[in-house]
Amino acid sequence: MSIAFKPEETFRGDYSYRNSDAAILRFPFPFPEDKYMYSVNIEPHVRSGPSDVFIRPFDVDEHYIAECRDRAITLERDPGRCQVLPHMMLAQWDTLELLMENLSADYPEHFSLTKEGDDFGSRWTWTNRPLGIEQSFIFGDAATLPCEPFEYITRQAQGDFAICDQRDDNLYMDAGMVTSQADWSLEFDVGMSFMEWHGPVPLAHQTGVFERALKYLLMLRLGQPVRRLNWTMTINPRLDTSPESFPEWGTDRASVTPDNAGSKVHLRVELQTLWRLPRSNAILFPIRCYLASLDDLARVPKWGARLHRVLSSLPPQLVEYKGLTRYLPAALAWLSRHDDGAELPIGTEAGVDTLT
Amino acid sequence: MIGDTLLLQVAAVTDIAPGLRHLRLVAADGGKLPPAAAGAHVQFVLEGAARTWRNAYSLVSRPGARDAWEIIVRRVPASRGGSAFIHEQLEVGDRLLAGWPGNLFAPVRIARHHLMIAGGIGITPFLSYLAEFGFTGAGHALHVCCRESEKDVFAPWLGSSPAVAFHWDADGHRLDIPALLASQPAGTHLYVCGPAAMNDEVMAAAAVAGWPASHVHCEHFGSALFGGEAFRAFLVRSGIELEVAEDESLLDAIERAGVAAPCLCRGGACGVCVTPLLEGEAEHRDHFLSADERAAGRLIMPCVSRARAGRLVLDL
Amino acid sequence: MLHSDIKSRPTYRALEPDLAAAGHLLVIEAATLQPGGLAGLADAFAPVVANLHTWLVGEALAAPGLGKPWHLPAVADVVDALACATRGYGIGDRLYVQGTEPFLWSVATAAAIVGFGPGQLQLCHAGSLQRRVWCTHCHGVTEQVTTNVVPCAGCGRHLLVRDHFSRRLGAFMGVMVDAEAPGEIPAIEEVFA
Ligand code: HEM
Ligand code: FES
Repeated sequence: MSIAFKPEETFRGDYSYRNSDAAILRFPFPFPEDKYMYSVNIEPHVRSGPSDVFIRPFDVDEHYIAECRDRAITLERDPGRCQVLPHMMLAQWDTLELLMENLSADYPEHFSLTKEGDDFGSRWTWTNRPLGIEQSFIFGDAATLPCEPFEYITRQAQGDFAICDQRDDNLYMDAGMVTSQADWSLEFDVGMSFMEWHGPVPLAHQTGVFERALKYLLMLRLGQPVRRLNWTMTINPRLDTSPESFPEWGTDRASVTPDNAGSKVHLRVELQTLWRLPRSNAILFPIRCYLASLDDLARVPKWGARLHRVLSSLPPQLVEYKGLTRYLPAALAWLSRHDDGAELPIGTEAGVDTLT
Repeated sequence: MIGDTLLLQVAAVTDIAPGLRHLRLVAADGGKLPPAAAGAHVQFVLEGAARTWRNAYSLVSRPGARDAWEIIVRRVPASRGGSAFIHEQLEVGDRLLAGWPGNLFAPVRIARHHLMIAGGIGITPFLSYLAEFGFTGAGHALHVCCRESEKDVFAPWLGSSPAVAFHWDADGHRLDIPALLASQPAGTHLYVCGPAAMNDEVMAAAAVAGWPASHVHCEHFGSALFGGEAFRAFLVRSGIELEVAEDESLLDAIERAGVAAPCLCRGGACGVCVTPLLEGEAEHRDHFLSADERAAGRLIMPCVSRARAGRLVLDL
Repeated sequence: MLHSDIKSRPTYRALEPDLAAAGHLLVIEAATLQPGGLAGLADAFAPVVANLHTWLVGEALAAPGLGKPWHLPAVADVVDALACATRGYGIGDRLYVQGTEPFLWSVATAAAIVGFGPGQLQLCHAGSLQRRVWCTHCHGVTEQVTTNVVPCAGCGRHLLVRDHFSRRLGAFMGVMVDAEAPGEIPAIEEVFA
């Protein structure tokens, strides 16, 4: 499977990020219904689904090279975006193995992995053609890589990653590579338990969402990953919407008007997967982020109309938590032009093969 | 690395002591096995002539090994009979189905020191612990209580570790559990695996010595294993009578019968599969229904829950 | 935007000796003691006084009924003393800490480094509700914060003090309050006195 990468696009400055028509059609639109509320929306991460971003366990798309470059820029400015507590070394190797094996199996044109053995102490050679990397190293010996194994491999992957250590019937966020987050701080959260790091989320604690999700995750099995979609909105196609850099992007929220909302306001969907790791028994939590502008989304009539309905009926606590307060009226004014009020079919599928 | 069951082939069988059999298992298709962690177990489907057993055994192979898995099985005369099957029937070349590794007894990786106490065959999970600690350099000590005649049986897995001590039932050789537990530094985690009576004794001694419960771990199989007794169910709206086998969920059986039932997580958390229960008593295993809903007995989550007794009648 | 029931916010309770424990170490921030506070602790810890060590931090008060207390000038000395206590701590030992939130978490963090697990630790809040605030932008720490919005001691930005709390940092999160509309700073109120 050959991917036409767009290595020059940017997620800051001139924001030259754009989706091809194909990228819009495969966007993992998250709303099956006209209303949205938090729920335990977890399902097996099988190789199929309403969008082909689900076909491969770790999806790589046209933005791969540009996203890796944006991550490198953020890390250069703030190395604290990658945090690993000392007891997570086995989990680091587990993550490296999982990513290298999956990427090389699913995208053999772009990635390859050759191994002299599977155990720690074996020589492995990793080739990443899009980024022009060839690295020979000893699996299990961090000194043979240019940086620690988790940082090494997640610099070459799209999306953020957290690793949760499991102990005491709880999960602890003891490692992470987080450069494209929806406004939470890894450096603040590292080491927290499941309920602690979810502390700021409104309503979901009270309805038992987190209690049930945690019990389920504690039983997560090796070989049976699960997934869920989460979403928020971002002004401009910006990956680094961290609290760290909030002073840089905060004013963008005040720049939205009913006329420019189509190109400024982006729906940001996170395809979150959860993997039991084999040696460490930890849980890997990749957060793969997809961005589409309202302009993009409205080219799929069902999506434009549905987004209008979801956003107009969103509980006020979610509007505030997701940081939409200042520009939601402008976004709704723009979207209302794309909603004729006709009933929409249940489900997230685009329902069209070509864009209008 | 996605999958759920594997077909294995017995590559070698060795009787390492009377009543103790070592098995080496490889993937039947010649491929690689999924790696497993220290403390992992695998559930094997043992197809006897008259019945099938599903027994879980700790892997004693190196953590992360992908060429072969190893287990050591003690023949338990009075038990369910799976161990007798392994000792009497299973031969090199035989094939058997197994689940992917599970782990209910992983070492706590923030521990500053790992103290392990094994009783007899309860040593098996600790053999993989030792391999991991040997690699990571984590501080540890293993105390094995066994018959004197068996103290050398496990030597091939112990290497020359100075951190392993053997104890048996003779003056001067018994393990003084209270003394051992009284003198451990803060940050130590204690793991015990052995006969129930020994586990209880160690846990009680730890409580007396002031160990916080969060630092004491006991291996117990059972609660988290999949499946259970077979039972029958009737789907009123579809008019279908179902036989739910030991190793499948009610939801699996419903789907097998061609009835489309709503579901999402398949693990008792999301609530999507909730189904009215018209007759019969459910054994609830989900995290979704409230205590009141369970008590009322009118709802069931077919993805995980089963029949407590008799037949379930569902509005489906 | 001031979330009130954030689950990361620790809850504290009155100290109560764990009778199953082998040894007991009580660390008190003296300045936070109420009149009669020491007597109350002495009552509570009477059943374990034979195995009790008391560290009083700050003022050198007499502490009848709490063993022979050891006086330490400041929390930094507690951190040092925990780190280099030559006898080491046992898994059966318990640590009890009473004081302001920054005090509690400085001691808790130092205790974790020498191996105390959460099950060996009791924390009781006493004294002022002042907060240690961690700036998400410059990662600097502002101490003794009593207001809803505070200028960061590191970068000078006006930070909204949230309820989201990190045990590792012993601090609440501070986020630039006027990042969306520079200069729009809400009324500053005394809320954590
Ligand atoms: C175990 C891995 C997980 C990690 C590391 C993780 C991490 C996070 C973090 C850091 C936040 C932001 C909190 C903040 O505002 O500071 C968040 C939000 C949230 N999480 Fe998770 N989470 C995990 C799993 C789950 C699962 C399984 C659920 C299922 C219900 C879930 C549901 C949510 C929801 C509903 C939000 C609010 C999102 C929004 O409205 O934008 N999380 N999560
Ligand atoms: S499918 Fe989620 S609770 Fe049954």
